[in-house]
Amino acid sequence: MLENIKDKFLNYSFGLILTILTIFAIFEFHDFMDYYEIFILLGSAITFTWMGNMWPNFKNLFLNIFLFSFISIYLYQGSLEQIELNFFLKYFLSSQSAIMWMTALYPLSLIIYWVYLLSRQDFYGSLATKITWIATMMGFVGLLVRWYESYLISIDVGHIPVSNLYEVFILFCLITSLLYLYYEEKLDIKKMGAFVLIIITAAVGFILWYTFEKGANQIQPLVPALQSYWMKIHVPANFIGYGAFSMAAMISVAYLLKGKGILGNYLPELNVLDEMTYKAISIGFIFFTIATILGAVWAAEAWGGYWSWDPKETWALIVWLNYAAWLHLRLIKGLRGSILAWWSLAGLAVTTFAFLGVNLFLSGLHSYGEL
Amino acid sequence: MRFAITMFSLLGIASIIGTVLKQNEPYNNYIIKFGQFWFDIFEKLGLYNLYQAFWFLLILVFLIISTSLCVSRNTPKILKDYKKFQDRIREKSLLSFKHSYQFPLKEFSPKKITAFLKSNNYKVKHKIIEDNGDLIVAKKGDLQKLGYIFTHLAIVIISIGGLLDGNLVFKVQELIGVKQIQLVDQPLSQIPLTGRMSENNLSYRASMLLSEGDTKTAAILRAKEGYLVQEIPFSITLKDFNIEHYSTGQPKSFKSDLLVTDNETGQSINKTISVNKPLTYKGVTIYQAAFEDGGSQLDLLVWNLNSSQPSFQMNSEIFKNNKLTFENQNLTLEFKDFRKFNILEVSQNEEQKPKPTNVGPNFLYKVRNESGQAKEYQTYQLPIVIDGKYFFMSGMRNSPQEEFNYLKIPADENFSIKGFMTLKSLLNNPQKVNNAINKGINESAFTTSEKKEAFKSGTQNIINAFIKGGYNSVIETMDLNIPEQASFPDKERAIKTYINIIYLVSQELVRDYQDNNKGEIVFPINESPRFIQDALTAYSDSFFYGVPLYLELKDFEHVQASGLQLTKSPGQIWVYLGSILLVLGIFCMIYIQEIRLWIFRKKGSSSLIVSLATNRDRMDFDQYAIRLKDQIKKMTN
Repeated sequence: MLENIKDKFLNYSFGLILTILTIFAIFEFHDFMDYYEIFILLGSAITFTWMGNMWPNFKNLFLNIFLFSFISIYLYQGSLEQIELNFFLKYFLSSQSAIMWMTALYPLSLIIYWVYLLSRQDFYGSLATKITWIATMMGFVGLLVRWYESYLISIDVGHIPVSNLYEVFILFCLITSLLYLYYEEKLDIKKMGAFVLIIITAAVGFILWYTFEKGANQIQPLVPALQSYWMKIHVPANFIGYGAFSMAAMISVAYLLKGKGILGNYLPELNVLDEMTYKAISIGFIFFTIATILGAVWAAEAWGGYWSWDPKETWALIVWLNYAAWLHLRLIKGLRGSILAWWSLAGLAVTTFAFLGVNLFLSGLHSYGEL
Repeated sequence: MRFAITMFSLLGIASIIGTVLKQNEPYNNYIIKFGQFWFDIFEKLGLYNLYQAFWFLLILVFLIISTSLCVSRNTPKILKDYKKFQDRIREKSLLSFKHSYQFPLKEFSPKKITAFLKSNNYKVKHKIIEDNGDLIVAKKGDLQKLGYIFTHLAIVIISIGGLLDGNLVFKVQELIGVKQIQLVDQPLSQIPLTGRMSENNLSYRASMLLSEGDTKTAAILRAKEGYLVQEIPFSITLKDFNIEHYSTGQPKSFKSDLLVTDNETGQSINKTISVNKPLTYKGVTIYQAAFEDGGSQLDLLVWNLNSSQPSFQMNSEIFKNNKLTFENQNLTLEFKDFRKFNILEVSQNEEQKPKPTNVGPNFLYKVRNESGQAKEYQTYQLPIVIDGKYFFMSGMRNSPQEEFNYLKIPADENFSIKGFMTLKSLLNNPQKVNNAINKGINESAFTTSEKKEAFKSGTQNIINAFIKGGYNSVIETMDLNIPEQASFPDKERAIKTYINIIYLVSQELVRDYQDNNKGEIVFPINESPRFIQDALTAYSDSFFYGVPLYLELKDFEHVQASGLQLTKSPGQIWVYLGSILLVLGIFCMIYIQEIRLWIFRKKGSSSLIVSLATNRDRMDFDQYAIRLKDQIKKMTN
């Protein structure tokens, strides 16, 4: 009972804080925002409040991201030179450093998850989870500060950091790990971190290669086609889809291993894995559908047609058909078992191609993320 | 169902082919890529415009039909289920449910239970069975079943919207021969009726290229390897086209100032469109899609790099050709493009990191000789800084697949090309060269006239070789003069000497020119040796420049053209409505759980049966069932 009251109190306080911040932002900055941006602001406030109520740990994450981003912005004092001059910015909170911390912490938590999986000592499990939380926090701080940094370069350069392959890869890591952390808590399956973090670490590897080999971390101004409020919604929604599908594939790996008796004693029960795959694919499917539709609406505005059979669009359709078939088999036909696990694993290949392969091998309208 | 899945798979496979094989390219590219044999087969299959191919559209039509059948077959059943309570159920079958509980009963109040269930969002029906007892039937989550109808109906609506916006009408018209794709470029007014789509065309995505100041009343529809004319209910005038750049040089915005005039009323509106901000007028949406040169005017000076001839003026226009007789050759100059802004990575000096800088205008042209062979040139108007020195850059390549090879001509004291051109004229003037050599010899330490004479003829040979073919030619001549068995250091020393001789003669030519043209400062005074060396290198490189014809851009009048796209898409609204329905449907199917509940008390019995069923048995349903059972148990005890 007391717990319940405490929860309620925290929920209301969180909602109140967000309401105050939103009202402050609207009063202070409404001159700089158009209706769409105010709408997005209100929508975000409602979404985050709802997420905080539904998932207590999200509140902590949100407040920490908020706190550290603002400390960082304060330390910048409106000048990019501070990155080199200020100790805390240089090593912790400048966007590049925060992202580097993220890239260091995700692989670390992967290792600790494996130690936990094999040693079965709870200490390692909760340590790995904590590190994943911190990595996620640092990643979000990095992206938010990068957003701010882009405006310091020049007012007209400033934009939300979801505009190129480098930025969306970071977003991918963050969204995948958030989805995982949510299900880890809800379904009590800490051991799956050892699998889900594999795909996140792979993405981290790409980010590092992309940074050091290609200097992709440079902030670039937006090409005219990307200057649209739709970008703020289309890209993140898409990455919830990609993240969820990737998580589903990694859980399917665990399912298949367990089915073959490998690591059998260390992994959760098959029906738990099956359930989690289903949950991941269904949330991914909803967001992927919405993202594709939003993409069509945007395309109608920018390219003169909601559907142009551009390679990226076409591959989005293929990904969609693939998971539609998966859900169909499971929901309508009641199919279970290793076929669906293999299918979701193959789905990762299709998704990866749609996400990365199209940019690498095929040209078209969506050529923002060329390597 | 099976048929629908086959169709979906076919759609997927066909789409993949369409992404791998680049669509809507000029047919020549395909012939080069696949060879004539495969080209013909692929063309028959419609693979180059796959998404407009008949068989592809046929798949879509089948998909619509089979999905519609699916929906129409299942909808009545689902709607019946939606209304119906399953109240004809036997005790025995209730007990056989997976989630079935039986417990002792103290107090049975159907009203209380009904109220409790209703507060849990159940729809409840209480039925008293005469000789048997009380049955309470409850259910929730019926929307899940509707999700099925929503999603499938959505697919039908979206596909129909898509077909509305496809070119089915034209396909049929083409098939019965009413319309015909035009293959030859000709003025819009001369295109016959069979090549024109009326403004009542249901849907289209046409393009229009407008130069600044131009007005057009029709657009172009690309179709296979040809085109059609799409008439529109208004005319468009491009008043101005603007590109803005970021400080780093990347383009920031493309804007077209349009004047749209209605054909019927004659009224016009003024509107600026840009990427992401189109204009919709009379059901047609006008987009900023592309831009190119619109026929800029160029004032040029024509120089011969390898002679002392003076330059002459020439006027030209982008997309036009100039004929020219040059060194006894009939050349055609084809002007292809002009760009006012060019962003290159440039560093002011050797220490500085290169940063993107606007280096000013350049223009692109081809020089075609009588036999039809052409070389392509790209020339910048202004000198570009390289390691602290300024050069006029002009690139040449033999084919578009190659990179440009740049001729770097040093800029003179006034940042003009005149210094270099003066020097090359002097070098090509035998009299001046002779004087310079004589002067050098007179000031030299040679004592006998034979030695002087020998040195003079040697120098003359070297200079002549250089003038005819640059350093390469000097080395070739030298190979003839230097004994075969000479050691490598000797050869190297000889080359150095020759280069030095060419340099000294040039220096003398420059000095002489300066003395005779006082007041006109052409050559750099302090940097003279470096300038002369760079100029000699450029002169020598000019023999690899194809034709020694250099075009200097004196002035230009920039005319731009804006590429517009005109879209009429009546299916769009249906696609959007279908999309909303699709999201709703998926949400219903995935996140709403259908639960049915029966509570049965046999007449006179002191126990109660509670059974639950769901059509998607998820893990958390076990817990839910137990919790609900416990609550009911509490109520009845």
